[in-house]
Amino acid sequence: MEREELKLQLKNHIIKYLNLLEMTPDDIKDDQPLFGDGLGLDSIDSIELIVLLEREYGIKIQDPKDGRKILADINSMLDYIQEHRAK
Amino acid sequence: MSRIVITGIGVISALGEFAETNHTALVKAECGLSSLQLFKTIYSETLKFGEIKIENEQLKNRLGIKNKGITRTSLLALHALNEAVNDSKLKEVQIKSYDTALIVANTVGGMCLTDELFQDANSKDNGSEYVSSYDCGSTTLFLQNQLGVKGVCNTINTACSSSANALMFAARLINNGYANRAIVGGVDSLAKFTINGFNSLGILAPQNCKPFDKNRNGLNLGEGSGFIVMEKESDVIDKKIYAVLSGYFNSNDAFHPSALSDNGDGPFLAMKGALKTANLSPFQIGYVNTHGTGTENNDEVEGKALKRIFETVPPFASTKSKIGHCLGGAAAIESVFSIIALNNQEIYPSLNFITPIESTGLIPLLEYKNHSFDHIMTNSFGFGGNCSSLIFSKK
Amino acid sequence: MYIHKSTCISPQQTYSDVDLEKLNISVNNMLNVVEPKYDDIPLNVLRRMGKAVRMGVGAALPLIKDSKNIDGIIIGTANGGMEDCIKFLNQIVQFEEGRLTPTNFVQSTPNAIAAQIGITNQNKCYNITHVHRGLAFENALIDAQMLLRENLEFNLLVGGVDEISSYNYNIENLGGWFKDEEIDNTKLYKNETKGTIAGEGVTMFVVNNCKENSIANISAIKTLHTNNTEEVAEQLKLFIEKNISPDKNIDLFLTGENGDNRLQNYYNVCENIFDNNTSIARFKHYCGEYPTASAFSVWLASKILNNQIIPQHFIKCKSNSNKLERILIYNNYKGQQHSFMLIEK
Repeated sequence: MEREELKLQLKNHIIKYLNLLEMTPDDIKDDQPLFGDGLGLDSIDSIELIVLLEREYGIKIQDPKDGRKILADINSMLDYIQEHRAK
Repeated sequence: MSRIVITGIGVISALGEFAETNHTALVKAECGLSSLQLFKTIYSETLKFGEIKIENEQLKNRLGIKNKGITRTSLLALHALNEAVNDSKLKEVQIKSYDTALIVANTVGGMCLTDELFQDANSKDNGSEYVSSYDCGSTTLFLQNQLGVKGVCNTINTACSSSANALMFAARLINNGYANRAIVGGVDSLAKFTINGFNSLGILAPQNCKPFDKNRNGLNLGEGSGFIVMEKESDVIDKKIYAVLSGYFNSNDAFHPSALSDNGDGPFLAMKGALKTANLSPFQIGYVNTHGTGTENNDEVEGKALKRIFETVPPFASTKSKIGHCLGGAAAIESVFSIIALNNQEIYPSLNFITPIESTGLIPLLEYKNHSFDHIMTNSFGFGGNCSSLIFSKK
Repeated sequence: MYIHKSTCISPQQTYSDVDLEKLNISVNNMLNVVEPKYDDIPLNVLRRMGKAVRMGVGAALPLIKDSKNIDGIIIGTANGGMEDCIKFLNQIVQFEEGRLTPTNFVQSTPNAIAAQIGITNQNKCYNITHVHRGLAFENALIDAQMLLRENLEFNLLVGGVDEISSYNYNIENLGGWFKDEEIDNTKLYKNETKGTIAGEGVTMFVVNNCKENSIANISAIKTLHTNNTEEVAEQLKLFIEKNISPDKNIDLFLTGENGDNRLQNYYNVCENIFDNNTSIARFKHYCGEYPTASAFSVWLASKILNNQIIPQHFIKCKSNSNKLERILIYNNYKGQQHSFMLIEK
């Protein structure tokens, strides 16, 4: 899958998993931090995103501390998925 | 206003089936955590739990329960309740009178039967025998029916602090004239629902939990029940009084659905309020039974809050290193343990502690001790920021 | 205990532009709430909420915004977020206890409603959730009553919340509590079979000890556990004796009659206590049956006292007098849990 196509799919998954009301893929910028001041996600959301990676892309993140780096923004998630995806 | 005294105690936990067996295990600093033998989950072998090694059929036989649809939660509760009621020598006519209250806390109710609930929620065919037993109220209604209690009956669920609030509610019923005595306790049994719930949050310890240790990595779930009988001191003439419930307070941390704030405002306010209700100064507290779950978040925040309250933090420990976290049962079981400690003038150690948390430097009690003290504080903090503290005092 | 403010989200038009005359019709033996827009709940918080939490917080926030201080949050709910609870259960089964998403779990605990109200308002005061099935709301009221005796100046938020989810409808239906045949709510009381129709809703009150400018006074509450009709009637007589002086009239007896023929006798023996100076009215055709429906009845009673009129569809039997100063509510949940509440002007 091309990166652009994957990006759209990933953003749609994020909107679905986190039930981001009234948001479209365009509203999530590629380099906007997902946590803290960016999209305003918190620790429960980070677990939801780890589950997303496992269920949708077959990627298991064992140490939640690695999660923070991988889940920093859309770009870092895409990099990680392209490198590690199992499905 | 007459003081509220404890005249009966009952407890069943992974440490033992009665108050006396629990006491013996506490003195010996035994650990009740183990792999699961009775309850089936994919984590049975890989994680440690505070499981009570008695099967439901055996509990039913022992309690003389023949009706259908009775859950493990209800059976464990009846077991502890019977012990407390017998211990206090409450008369049949007192139990059945309109001025006796029954207040019970629990969080899983009949959801220990995860698979049956799944069936009943999704199937259009016949319901299982447990179809009326899933809610938290079902346990209280079963107990009410068993005993024929006629006074105020209530079920409270504030997650992990539930049974502290049950004790507090019962005491206030008596203080406000809604009841003259109360049978009050808490219970929870192991459930796939809670095991997977806490696991999804990544806060179940892979091994035995290490409360207040720098390298703590989560909690162990447990099951069990604690019950006490509360009466007005003026009504008690010729029976044993274990302790006085002298302080209680409920406060909300108002920070996050599943984590405590950095400063621990909720825990701080709960402890401060309980001291105020009891009219005590912090230095008068001789021992603190902490919430001490062993999670990253709780123990650091609780430690900070303890340091905010106490100039010198008194000896403290967590029983969760021995019986796990019994959720809705936790505060009631730990209240019974606190009453036993106070009565015997002894304090029990925390297990698995090696290195203090850097930000607090606090070290829990590490060995059994005879200890002369008059007041014990017990803390319970729950999801949703629900924080409550109780204080028991010597008669 | 005086009611100063209230909100009600129900299957009817009770939230804004309240219209008690209008009656929405049930569908498939269910009366589902008409949910308002929740303008006060931030989107980033709303996204996680199931229906019960959303309704509860949604009904509470306007009241809190409107009050100077709230010194306690006391919620009665039998089940809290049942939908989230079963969603999490479905995850456990579907993914065989593998890695699961935690949001449903966190939202499913019944104390999530009171907790979220506390978090949203940074309210660190007394915060509790009573879950005693059909008496969850009554116990919340008893708690509030005690807190107002202990702290005379307190201002409290007290409410009742329960939702219908397809799952708990299914469970209650298997338990035999809903009608096998489909009926609509206008015919609820004509039916002579077992079971009733399902309802849901949220009612929130701000209460304190101040009589001035109050909407109504919840002056007495009594709860009872029994399956003996005679005992219920006897306790009702005692309740009246204790709380209402003989020179005062009970203008309306408002009951939780719900069309379940197994429970009819409880209502019959209680109605027999009153003479033709007391009107009799019912409310379950309007809000449906749910464990905290009695919270709705208190809201309705306060409206009737203020409007001085009982819309025709509630009335079972009209008294000789038009005065409406005192309403006695009797509710019965599954023939096991009973409550009496006295609401006065």
